[in-house]
Amino acid sequence: MAPVHKDKRLLGALVVFAAMLGVPLAMHDTFFLRVLTEAIMWIGLALSFDVLAGYTGYLNFGHSAFFGIGAYATSLLMMKAHWPFPLAVLAGAMAAAVAALVIGMPTLRLRGAYFAIATWALARAIQQFALVSSFTGGPDGMRLTAYLNPQYFYYVMLAVTASTFFGLWFLLERAPFGLKLKAVREDQESAKALGLNPTKLKIQAMVLSAIPTALLGGVFAYWVTFIDPGSTLGDLVSDQALVMVVFGGMGTLVGPVVGAVLIFAFKTLFWAYLSAYEVLYIIILGAVIALSVVFLPDGALGMVFRRRKAPEADLETPAGHAPEFPNEEEA
Amino acid sequence: MEILPQVLLDGIMLGAVYIIIAIAFSLVYGVMHVIDFAVGEWIMLGAFTGFHLTQWTKVDPFLLLPLVFLIFGGLGYLIQPLLQRVISGHKGNPLLMGLVFTFGLSLMFRGLAQTFFGFYSHSIPSRFSTGSFFFEKGSFFLTVSTVRLAGLVYAAIITGVLHYLLKHSDFGLGVRALAQHKEAAGLMGVNNKRTSAYVYAIYTGTSAMTGVLIGTILSVSAKMGPEYTIFAFFVVVLAGMGYLAGVPAAALLLGVIQSVFLVYLDPGYTLLAVFALLYVILLVSPTGLFRKGV
Repeated sequence: MAPVHKDKRLLGALVVFAAMLGVPLAMHDTFFLRVLTEAIMWIGLALSFDVLAGYTGYLNFGHSAFFGIGAYATSLLMMKAHWPFPLAVLAGAMAAAVAALVIGMPTLRLRGAYFAIATWALARAIQQFALVSSFTGGPDGMRLTAYLNPQYFYYVMLAVTASTFFGLWFLLERAPFGLKLKAVREDQESAKALGLNPTKLKIQAMVLSAIPTALLGGVFAYWVTFIDPGSTLGDLVSDQALVMVVFGGMGTLVGPVVGAVLIFAFKTLFWAYLSAYEVLYIIILGAVIALSVVFLPDGALGMVFRRRKAPEADLETPAGHAPEFPNEEEA
Repeated sequence: MEILPQVLLDGIMLGAVYIIIAIAFSLVYGVMHVIDFAVGEWIMLGAFTGFHLTQWTKVDPFLLLPLVFLIFGGLGYLIQPLLQRVISGHKGNPLLMGLVFTFGLSLMFRGLAQTFFGFYSHSIPSRFSTGSFFFEKGSFFLTVSTVRLAGLVYAAIITGVLHYLLKHSDFGLGVRALAQHKEAAGLMGVNNKRTSAYVYAIYTGTSAMTGVLIGTILSVSAKMGPEYTIFAFFVVVLAGMGYLAGVPAAALLLGVIQSVFLVYLDPGYTLLAVFALLYVILLVSPTGLFRKGV
């Protein structure tokens, strides 16, 4: 893949971004704006999930923990310490970055599959902590002073997600950092032999994934004005991000965006017409994950590209010059 | 402090059941290199099946164990080829995809169970449920509940059977060969696909049976799955990954922790304590309690 091609793709992303900037000017329907705001949030969550899942090869089922930490830190700072919103959100992101560092150090020593369950257990433990602690409001959650300006939140959410996308595009597709992560993903021992420090890289990736997640969590808290352990720390945040990434295409930046838009559109329609069957949504989500893994190993995006290009198109390594290591982690 | 011996004993007898979960779980990991995220869900489905079969046939759940094993072993045998197809793919990261697949299964199972079995918590009635042995010597006393004792016996039997199967049968030889080196085992005439399918079937069947036991000792609910997935994982990591001999000690420790929290502290904190311990272990000794894992 020539760099020109990549720049074209970036151009496409910029055009989409410019179009998104204009949406609130053209549309005054608050409900639709709200749906779009949430869609943008999910795009950001899927993107940040993919940093660890797609690029580094670690499934972080504790993604919701970072989202919740951002949401709770923002709420606590705004309601208890009366900090202004931008400062509180940034502090929330800092808190999540520190949490990622502390959590990552022992858990990233685990093999991929064990890491997934360790982070999942941790997310549940944090959720339980928020449920039993009094300063978080326990199961009753926390209420924030409402700021009723849908356009404001649309733009803030868009700013966070867009800077996540372009920041990640630069770091993962342009800078060597992305290649280093892929090297660790493909073969940790060989990466070590090349002089890379896998543990350090993995922790960096986790912090990189945690920061936007916490920012989105903070914005989400101020936007919906009410958070509780179920909505911000629950499994659904990680589960949906995973479905979006797997369905769209892991290890790319466009894949999660496509997956997030498709899955979120489905979710919105589902809740609009079938909200009485809440459990059915979980079943469908599970079925979509399991089936797309079996039948769409490259995600929906991968299938489209495979059709259009030569069958040899190298989709796992969009940078085109990533070293090709065998996939077996262990014999 | 008077009830401390009682708490420890209850914990140990409960831990015995976790041994079985962790052994079956490690067996699958050893052969297929995939961790089954749905382990707790197999336990939950097995428990519900045991509950409904008992209600329907009025037969004691302990007598229904072989039937539950057959049902879920068959189900696992049918599902395994899909998983095999995912993990033997050549694109991306097949092992990661295998994990994602089992995660999808676990979501589906949980959703289906909530739809068909409801949100309520049940307990499987057994003839053993009510009985107990009582020991008393001065101020020291112990109650051994029959159902927990039965769990201990069950754990011993299953461990024995699995041990025999793995160490003294041709099938077990094939399993061990596959765990060591897939390609070499294949060259020696071990059928990877068939053996893996059997191992997976043994694992699902055993997990479901253990679920019935947990249902008689504790309770059954559609939301119980994740807790047991975390427990299974906790035991395996604590024992040291791939070090089966460490499993009993780790499982018994988990049982004791759970029992202590139930009696002395708030059971709501169990998961926090379990994770705190896991965190410390991973930080101090990533290869498990005995430093013998990989």
